[in-house]
Amino acid sequence: MVFNSYTFVLFFVLLLVLHNLPFSWKVKKINLLIASYLFYALWNPPFILLLWLSTVVDYFMARQIAVTEEKLMRKLWLTVSLLLNLGMLSYFKYGGFLLENFTALLNSMGIAYQAAKPDIILPVGISFYTFVTLSYTIDVYRRKFAPEPSFLNFALFVTYFPHLVAGPIVRPEDLIPQFKTPRKATSEQMVWGLFLLTLGLFLKVVIADGWMSEPADFIFGLPFPVNPLDAWSAVLAFSAQIFCDFGGYSTCAIGVSLCLGFTLPENFRYPYAAIGFSDFWRRWHITLSTWLRDYLYIPLGGNRSGSFRTYVNLMITMLLGGLWHGASWNFVIWGGLHGIFLCIERLFRSWSRKSAPMVAEGVIIQATLIPVRSKNLSNFLLALITFLLVNITWVFFRSPDFGSAMRMLLCMFGVITQGPKMLSTPDMLKVALVTIGLLSFHWSMRDKSVKSLFTSLPWWFSGTAWAVMLILIILTQKSTSSFIYFQF
Amino acid sequence: MKTSDYLKAGWLAFALVLLFVIGWESYWRSQGFDLSYNDDESLWAFTRKRIYNTTPARPVIIGSSRVKFDIDQTQWEQQTGEKPVQLALVGTSPRPILRDLANDPEFKGTLLVGVVEGLFFSGEGSPMEIEANKRLKAYPKWSLSQQASFYMNQHLESNLLFLDEERFSLNSLLKRLPIESRAGVFVFPNFPIRTGYTNPNRQEIFSKDFMADTAVQHGVQYVWSYLGMLSNKKGVGGDTLSGIIHSVKVNVDKINARGGQVLFLKMPVSNPALAAEQKSFPRKEYWDRLLLETGSQGIHFEDYPELSKYVCPDWSHLAPADTKPFTADLIKIIEAKTHWTLQKSPTSNHP
Repeated sequence: MVFNSYTFVLFFVLLLVLHNLPFSWKVKKINLLIASYLFYALWNPPFILLLWLSTVVDYFMARQIAVTEEKLMRKLWLTVSLLLNLGMLSYFKYGGFLLENFTALLNSMGIAYQAAKPDIILPVGISFYTFVTLSYTIDVYRRKFAPEPSFLNFALFVTYFPHLVAGPIVRPEDLIPQFKTPRKATSEQMVWGLFLLTLGLFLKVVIADGWMSEPADFIFGLPFPVNPLDAWSAVLAFSAQIFCDFGGYSTCAIGVSLCLGFTLPENFRYPYAAIGFSDFWRRWHITLSTWLRDYLYIPLGGNRSGSFRTYVNLMITMLLGGLWHGASWNFVIWGGLHGIFLCIERLFRSWSRKSAPMVAEGVIIQATLIPVRSKNLSNFLLALITFLLVNITWVFFRSPDFGSAMRMLLCMFGVITQGPKMLSTPDMLKVALVTIGLLSFHWSMRDKSVKSLFTSLPWWFSGTAWAVMLILIILTQKSTSSFIYFQF
Repeated sequence: MKTSDYLKAGWLAFALVLLFVIGWESYWRSQGFDLSYNDDESLWAFTRKRIYNTTPARPVIIGSSRVKFDIDQTQWEQQTGEKPVQLALVGTSPRPILRDLANDPEFKGTLLVGVVEGLFFSGEGSPMEIEANKRLKAYPKWSLSQQASFYMNQHLESNLLFLDEERFSLNSLLKRLPIESRAGVFVFPNFPIRTGYTNPNRQEIFSKDFMADTAVQHGVQYVWSYLGMLSNKKGVGGDTLSGIIHSVKVNVDKINARGGQVLFLKMPVSNPALAAEQKSFPRKEYWDRLLLETGSQGIHFEDYPELSKYVCPDWSHLAPADTKPFTADLIKIIEAKTHWTLQKSPTSNHP
């Protein structure tokens, strides 16, 4: 079930009613659990079994890990949990990819081998709920906390529908404590939750699906080079589309959850205002980047084992982060590019720290010939450069294969100039307007929150802005397209 | 902001949206538009699910817009007691759908294939196949949630005019803004907003305004001219044409082998589009060859005075008043040509 569907509207209204009836807290939690299974099952019922399997095995493995003192046995129980979760993920998500590459390798060695194409359907959200359950077992293993005694609380933590299929990737400490005491949204939470749901749907339905998907899909789907302006428009369109699609989903999830009285972690913080790539990853898909930091980068040694090892760890983390997004070399390249930019940034920072005496408060001292710029302007220019580089990485993320990505880059940078003009003026205007609007909004909101903006405005202004978003959603009428991140 | 201000903002938003929806719906109704259904992936998937247990009286129809406009489903039902399963897609080649039906082992029914040569004889992977391929890709993924949304949407669409995405959605209205496009860019022209509407059975119908106003008719004719309907450019030939016909034969053979039946239909077209089609796609080289090499039967409107007596107001589709007698005659002609039983017998107990 997707948030932008009539089915969800009906489902959510019924659930809100049930959640606000005078049932016991246990009954309300059971209602939420059943509703979450229904939310998932309405996409593909058999895959509920995978969710159950993951939930049951991790619940019992965590308990075993907690009560076992012997190191080897603890490791064994952890391995069972990791094998199940990563095994399921590998089979469903990477099975075809591995087989394809294995076949290519054998063929390149002169061994004629042709494997039958596996007919595997990727269960929606498997990458998300696998990471949720993994963090639980690993944290219990690390004795960060005791395992949750209530199976109901644990099952609800894994399956809770707002985060189930596309995040935010919750940690046990984010959610399990909230299930322990009765929760009901206050009037303020309910209104704010509904506002966030509207904002998320506006981003998804109006901007991502209504305006940006068409130019992006059209140009990225062409098998031939296009005019440089069209290539840039398509990449900028995708840049806006992916943020509004995924950021929209997270905003909906947080809003929906708040209406039920539960808080989910923030997942996006105006990423296109990021100054540098480390800042970008503190603002883009925050729950994934912190997950990778805590369960991959730091266990690899983080920055504690010398500079060279730090760069290696950064690259491994970003390459695997890329692969998490999908079973394709393009995602690996996307992650690799982010890793390279992070390494360059780190190198530059360590170099600039060494030459710090030349810089006072970010302004080049007056003895230099370099023009003096205000910190704000410099930061804005750095943010624009970051945005430009992020767009280059999106080419690999969006293109169907490596050849198409390279062709697109060659068009963007004017190496291929003979491609035809394909996009209409209205489409290009839409892309330009959305890009400028998005960048301005992200920059002006860089250190603020939507809630602080909402509350700083007069109620009639906030109400009118809310109504405009709802009217645009109704007018756009794209009701049931799936979210891009469901495929991951 | 106080809690009461949150509530006030929420209520204000609700009131403004409600007022807007009432005003927006009332405005379009006051303009005299007919209610139309979105002919989207969900409606197509819903129809696709009904292809099983089809008979000559309840055939599956594939093709492009001509069979969608010209075959009147109410008339068909009156004579046969059954409604056909309308799977045709405007502006597309039916070959991807023919392939899909041929590869569905459960489909053993009767198939009517509308042939518009410019669309039908287009190369593999051409733009004429994009929409059909999109529907075919979406169909197996039509989830339970989407199905539930579809039923709710059908109910809303039956009552609210402004939910017609093709005419009144934001994108559709923005596309109608008079913004000149860059030189050299192909922009699909807009059909006049008052051209017609789609009923829940996926039948296309010209509106009263279209029939009454020649300016609207000229607007549609302009679109056809822009899209090359009057072009005398010769259609595909050589190996491409042979390949296309061969692929059709393979699929027709599969359906026949399972006990199904395939009948090709060439629907009416009027001058000057008819003359252009005859030059671009001479009957002997395309239609006759298609029937001969696939071993199929076909009905060409020019062979029957009952079918060729009409004038298409936009050169390409029949007027609503003509579709009923046309359909009645078509049913009789199909029966005579194929010896299939379509019409219910006078004593039958069909509802």
